[in-house]
Amino acid sequence: MAGGPQKLKFWSRITIVLRSYGVLIGLVLIIVIASIMEPTFLTANNVLNMLRQASVIGIVSLGVTFVMMTGGMDLSVGAIVSLCSVVAIRMMNTYGQTGGSSALTLVVVALIAAIGFLIGLVNGSIITSINGRLGETFIITYGMQIVVASLALLYSGGQFITGTFTDGLYQQLGTGLFPIFLFLAIALVMHAVLTYTTFGKQICFIGANMECARMSGIKVRLLRTITYGICGMTAALSAIVVTSRVFSASPLQGNGYELEAIAAVVVGGTSQSGGNGGIVNTIIGVLVLSVLGNALNVVGVDANAQLLVRGGIIIVAVALDMWNKKTAQRMATI
Amino acid sequence: MKKTIHNRTAVFEFVLNQTVLLLLLAFIVIMSIVRTSFLAWWNIQSILLDVSIYGVVACGMTMLIISGEFDLSASSQYMWAQILFVTMLNATNNPFLSILVTLVSGLVLGTLNGLIVTKLRVNSFIATLGTMTMIRGLCLVFTNGNMVSTRNEFVKTLGQAQILGVSSLFYIYIGVLVVVSVVLAYTNFGRRLYATGGNIEVARLAGIHTSFQKTMAFSSMGLLCAIAGMMLVTMLRAGSTQYGTDIALTCVAATVIGGTRLSGGAGNAIRTALGMMVIVVLYKALIYLGLQAYYQNLAKGLVLIAVVVFDVYTTRRRAEKIGR
Repeated sequence: MAGGPQKLKFWSRITIVLRSYGVLIGLVLIIVIASIMEPTFLTANNVLNMLRQASVIGIVSLGVTFVMMTGGMDLSVGAIVSLCSVVAIRMMNTYGQTGGSSALTLVVVALIAAIGFLIGLVNGSIITSINGRLGETFIITYGMQIVVASLALLYSGGQFITGTFTDGLYQQLGTGLFPIFLFLAIALVMHAVLTYTTFGKQICFIGANMECARMSGIKVRLLRTITYGICGMTAALSAIVVTSRVFSASPLQGNGYELEAIAAVVVGGTSQSGGNGGIVNTIIGVLVLSVLGNALNVVGVDANAQLLVRGGIIIVAVALDMWNKKTAQRMATI
Repeated sequence: MKKTIHNRTAVFEFVLNQTVLLLLLAFIVIMSIVRTSFLAWWNIQSILLDVSIYGVVACGMTMLIISGEFDLSASSQYMWAQILFVTMLNATNNPFLSILVTLVSGLVLGTLNGLIVTKLRVNSFIATLGTMTMIRGLCLVFTNGNMVSTRNEFVKTLGQAQILGVSSLFYIYIGVLVVVSVVLAYTNFGRRLYATGGNIEVARLAGIHTSFQKTMAFSSMGLLCAIAGMMLVTMLRAGSTQYGTDIALTCVAATVIGGTRLSGGAGNAIRTALGMMVIVVLYKALIYLGLQAYYQNLAKGLVLIAVVVFDVYTTRRRAEKIGR
């Protein structure tokens, strides 16, 4: 402020640009740097592969966005992916042996989605029964993560299950452009729900100020429970895509998915305090993280070192978000 | 009439306050009836050993939760301490230098967590989620995911030493417990920590440097994680990224069972120690009953959830009573 009005104007303009487009600028920068360092980065094959990978985490992140919009957290999504993976592949193996029909696939997908939704509802009911704040949602969904992960291990006997079924439709779900379309379709639906329905508006309200929302007559408990259900359902759908992609299921399939999903949501700018952000933010966050991961792979950074980058990005993204808010507040007071 | 109600609530309050102790006694009694060898000396020894290492981290977690913060990265810090300690021992063969370096590293990591939370104002759950991922990455890069081991004589003697038939590690734990309890109960720092966690706005207005308090709580956590990591190394003479992945949340569970509220501002380390004892006895009981490892995990998850739900219900009951 000591630098006079001219300088303040310049800086505030920069902050406004950064605040609105910071993540997008980051995405473009990563793409440019990676394609200069490694020309194979921008080949159609690599881009498609990247998008297919992104859509698995992406679908999970969409549900997590809903939960985080309400000021909560879901650490159990990874375990839900694991459980749904082994259940789905075993179901397909049992009933899809003799030239099963596409109807079977649809039934399995519906059942798996229902299982995910139910686990989410359990999460949500426990959390809302105690009116859990952020800390409690963290610990309860972590407890659920342990429970669901051990259910997955119990169900599969700790074994890796290979797909032996012959149903064609299920195998198509994870190949070609299908996962990308599925991701976009779910994103579109959820975006519409969030922006154009009363339910969506109420979710934003709950995130912005839960007490206020309760006093305004919004059924906070019911809505929060449903968001956790939706979150579980998206995790289950992601399990379908991933098992179809690799045509097998591991009871540890979803290990660490929750962290990637949270990172994507946070990087996208859905803030921890709830309220603002949204599906579009999350799509950008997912893209940033998967492009970055792929770029690091292409450049030759090993998976372990990537953890360092990933952890750092989570912190930097939230810190920037907080800094933005501070600047916005200061500019509002000026 | 009024008096009887008062008496009854007093009794109820007393029972509620002693839940940990009653729970612990109940577990031990049931287990020793079901399996008489549960009270065998070697089993008690192994319980005390388990309580010692996790208990040290739980002391730090208690301080943090009292200050109203939280540390998910404890598990990674604990791994890093093991790996660094073993690596230093192998490189220098000087136990005291290695201990010093590990302690300093723990202090630095903890302080870093604290600064991220207080200066960058990142929510402690997200911040420590980030540092947890980073430190785990560091450990994996360092070891390639392999176990590291040492043949250092000093470590061997310390790990095997017993005083009155109990491992020396238990005495280290008692030492830490006493120091943390004294700091919390009798020093200005401790009292300011309670004030910070109880109501940060009031504490700030009362002239307490709340960011400093919180950062110091994080630093202590880092230091205690380093100590716990080294204790594990003296026991196993090895360190790995596989040991102690559940330590952070187990310590939270112990702290909450011990009656420290997640919302901060209340609790003490001795009760956390009892809470840790309950958890370790429970885990041992699960093993003793011959349950498959997956069922043990299932039970751990359920216990964690039950503990948090129980905590919130009792806290609310108290709050309502005060409100009346």
